[in-house]
Amino acid sequence: MKLVKITLAIAAVTALAACEGQIGADKGIDRGTDTKDLSQLVAGIWVDPNGCDHWIIDDGVEGYLSARLDKYGKPVCSGAAPANVATGNFKGGATSIIGDIL
Amino acid sequence: MAMVNMLSIALRTVAKSAAILSVSAMAFTTVASAQQHGKQQFGNAQGVATAIQDAATGKTRTVLGERYIPNIWVDPDGCEHWVMDDGVEGYMTPHTNRQGIPVCRRGNVCGVMNSDQFFSTNSHHISRSGQQHLMNFFRSSKASAYIIAGHTDSRASDEYNMRLSYNRATTVANIARSAGARVADVRGYGERMPIASNKSQVGMSKNRRVEIICVR
Repeated sequence: MKLVKITLAIAAVTALAACEGQIGADKGIDRGTDTKDLSQLVAGIWVDPNGCDHWIIDDGVEGYLSARLDKYGKPVCSGAAPANVATGNFKGGATSIIGDIL
Repeated sequence: MAMVNMLSIALRTVAKSAAILSVSAMAFTTVASAQQHGKQQFGNAQGVATAIQDAATGKTRTVLGERYIPNIWVDPDGCEHWVMDDGVEGYMTPHTNRQGIPVCRRGNVCGVMNSDQFFSTNSHHISRSGQQHLMNFFRSSKASAYIIAGHTDSRASDEYNMRLSYNRATTVANIARSAGARVADVRGYGERMPIASNKSQVGMSKNRRVEIICVR
């Protein structure tokens, strides 16, 4: 029984290792249909409930959200839109095949 | 830099062959590879325990992890973010230094007012001509909002300088508002964010300023 468990564990690790071989450590490339470099993403602004800005990107399947900070490291709360509103052309990264699901 | 890249490639090769062989532990003991790990602070292939030499303590410890090497995305402000895509999920977080200051390729400071030209010593009042100058600036600028931050040199107490710099920034913010501009934030940093040495007259003069950040 113990041997079976160990064998299964090794098989599971090998299967994971096989996946790792395909995706690799470099997570800097879009894994969708177009495999573009992630530096090309186009962002909009989402305003959080406190009124502060975040960069929002809809890349088809993946979504990205990251804080907008000023040079002092403080949140930028520009008033570009009301709270809980996303604005701008941030769905530009989606592809025609997958598109924007929501 | 080339040396670091070569090391990175070498490490990836090692990680791959380890994953294929299902080797469960690896020990990096050379100084160079310890630095590589100490700098990047990543684990290795999934399910693989990696012995790393801690750069700070010099002790060896084992980390179970998977390598996640990010790309850099530059936002419209010019600041960097770490971005990763591992197949289905996407991840992003601001690239800041260890002090929490964002790493940016350009700045968004659209105006630096030398305080000597607008304020007299220890005062936060602006002359009529200075007010007119600022009104013209805010009316012609295309920014959607402004962040206004006052600074002083290091003379007088920290507490006094915090108050003076905030009062000066507030004066500028009130002019911006009367020109119809949106002010996102008003701050006084006192003497805590110098841009030049306070040991010289020229340096102190540079530090006496009000910064206007344009948010687009």
